Amino acid sequence: MSAPPDDPGQRAAALQAELDAVKRRDAEFRANMVKEFLDRGERNTYLHTLREEKATLVKREQESFADLEFLTRKLEAEGDRSSALEAELQGMWRSWSWRLTSPLRALGRAFSPGAPAPAAGGEPVQGGVFTYYLHTAPFRVYRGDSFTLRGWAWPEDGRAITAVRVNLDGRTFAGRHGLEEPEVIARYGAQPANPRPGFEVTFATPPGRHLLSLEAQLGGSEWRWIVRTSVWCEPKAP
Amino acid sequence: MSAADANSRWMDSTSTLGDRSAYKKVWERQAQDPDVASLAVAGHTDEATLELSARGFIDTLRTTVGLSPSDVILEIGCGIARVGRPLSRECTHWFGADISTGMLRHASDRLKDRPNTTLVELATVGLQEFPRDAFDLVYCTIVFMHLFEWDRYRYVEEAFRVLRPGGHGYFDNFPLDSSHGWNVFIEGSRYPLDRRPAHISMASTREELGIYLRKAGFVDVQVHDLPNELIAATGRKPDC
Repeated sequence: MSAPPDDPGQRAAALQAELDAVKRRDAEFRANMVKEFLDRGERNTYLHTLREEKATLVKREQESFADLEFLTRKLEAEGDRSSALEAELQGMWRSWSWRLTSPLRALGRAFSPGAPAPAAGGEPVQGGVFTYYLHTAPFRVYRGDSFTLRGWAWPEDGRAITAVRVNLDGRTFAGRHGLEEPEVIARYGAQPANPRPGFEVTFATPPGRHLLSLEAQLGGSEWRWIVRTSVWCEPKAP
Repeated sequence: MSAADANSRWMDSTSTLGDRSAYKKVWERQAQDPDVASLAVAGHTDEATLELSARGFIDTLRTTVGLSPSDVILEIGCGIARVGRPLSRECTHWFGADISTGMLRHASDRLKDRPNTTLVELATVGLQEFPRDAFDLVYCTIVFMHLFEWDRYRYVEEAFRVLRPGGHGYFDNFPLDSSHGWNVFIEGSRYPLDRRPAHISMASTREELGIYLRKAGFVDVQVHDLPNELIAATGRKPDC
């Protein structure tokens, strides 16, 4: 360290220069602090952007499911039409035997989307009006031995959902209900009777075409279906 | 684009008074092209006049609150960086904050050769993007006339928070009791109620600005009559 100058004027100038340097360093420190603070804010903004992107992807997924459902319905209609034509053809070929063509017509009726699925115990289940979303879309070709439908649902009449199940061609599979759906609650608020609207049902997917009916029990008594569709189960090629 | 053309497009880009609080929307619309943005924030479009008016304002800062090369400065509502561009030559770092992304885009173009500048988009009224005790000077010029009174005070409070102890705040507006201020007031009163534009200029009084600064905690509060028919309130954040 050099000795301080003797001349008071020079000393004052040296002190002033030192003070200016300290002020500059302090200013640079504060400017950098603000920039770091802003960077952190930008990281928060980035998180916000990621959340927005996630919401966009969920929306796009929902739209894809809607398209898939539409195509599935068309396929069902074409399948029914094809079955009917086949039955008619069979009838023409075998018109001498009503009994022979009868099972085909019955088969056609069974695959008709308008026909209620027989519930466990045999009584038909009526459709209900639900607000729902399925995280795992049922509109797909099923390749495994089983599948788990996950989603959430609210009956529009506000009754409590007391059970959920899948009915696959009359065979029922009980599911779990009352699962947390925090994003749904955050977005729409809670439905008083169904504060936890989530559910999941695992069901077997034996090869072939089946009528799948996702059903909810309301108020501990009647069952109503939430969504119904034909499904195709094809084992994976070996 | 001619000034007349810019003027007519500016008129087209304005919103109604009901939108006055929607500052982001109002100013995004006016920031769509550089000339309209320049006209909206400064009243003219040519660079020489912008520089001249900015120089005049920097002189005002020098005489009212003082400037030092070591200053870290924040401008609230920096628009196209009319002031920031020349002021950045006279300080350590200049931060410009604005609620309009469009304005900041034009500002960014004008500050390409100024490494000691940073532009920040404000999410809403306030300075929540900035830390406390950071700046030597926070100023806000030709902005208060476009804000509701509550939002004017919000910025004064926020400026106090982000100033370092001993730092200075500066806020200006046109006064109601000047001939210019009264003319603007009377012109505003003649708009049909449903066609008052959102950015319509609204005056302040000396008492109003002084009260804001004192209530926010500033000391040494002064209200200056400026030569360009503006009034400016200045104050100092007390030392710890």
